[in-house]
Amino acid sequence: MSLSVETIFSEKENKWIFFPKGEIDIYTSSKFKEEVLKHYNSKKKDIEIDGKELSYIDSTGLGALISILKRLKEDNLKIYISNLKPNIRKIFDITELDKLFIIRGEDSE
Amino acid sequence: MNKDIVKLNIPKKPSYISLVRLTASGIAYKLGLNIDEIEDIKVSIGEACINSLSFIEEDEISLIFEIEDNKLSIKVSGVKENIPEMLDEKRERELGLLIIKSLMDEVIFNEDGIEMIKYIEDDSQ
Repeated sequence: MSLSVETIFSEKENKWIFFPKGEIDIYTSSKFKEEVLKHYNSKKKDIEIDGKELSYIDSTGLGALISILKRLKEDNLKIYISNLKPNIRKIFDITELDKLFIIRGEDSE
Repeated sequence: MNKDIVKLNIPKKPSYISLVRLTASGIAYKLGLNIDEIEDIKVSIGEACINSLSFIEEDEISLIFEIEDNKLSIKVSGVKENIPEMLDEKRERELGLLIIKSLMDEVIFNEDGIEMIKYIEDDSQ
């Protein structure tokens, strides 16, 4: 419903960068996962999820990120999450997923 | 003691959960809660509805908002605390419960579902 995902492949950094815009929730999380994995399968490289325009995530969205992480781990690749808004960062802290993902952004640097 | 009650029933479909989040945010805003508290309530009610979708037998999820001077209580039907082992989304549902318990001031489970409470502090500037 209210999620769009912009995707670029950065030749310079040799990784995919995804910009989810809107909400990754129970209604959009499976679409988000498919979209990310579709690109990933066409070129297996590290992934960055840039959260600067992500306004909301729920547990199904976290589940989607976890299953993407598992896929990348099978290939020994990394997933980075950057520029999370404080309200979303809080959800990662509560669930301790900040320990599972490599989170980048102002407050961690 | 004043108690205002708002009731909302939604079809058992994922597409209605954003409507619930919006309604809850609206009520929390009306009560003068701050942005963080509104966000806590929005996230918690979203997680409660996701949980209920997995377990509720009825065709509708019932939500009751009870507004008192010092607290907002939200009851959501069909929510379960014990997630069955065989459920594929067990881990996600457990994350959902963890989020609710962390963000709300009080969480009570009963036969009908869940009751989540946020206390309203009178710190109007």
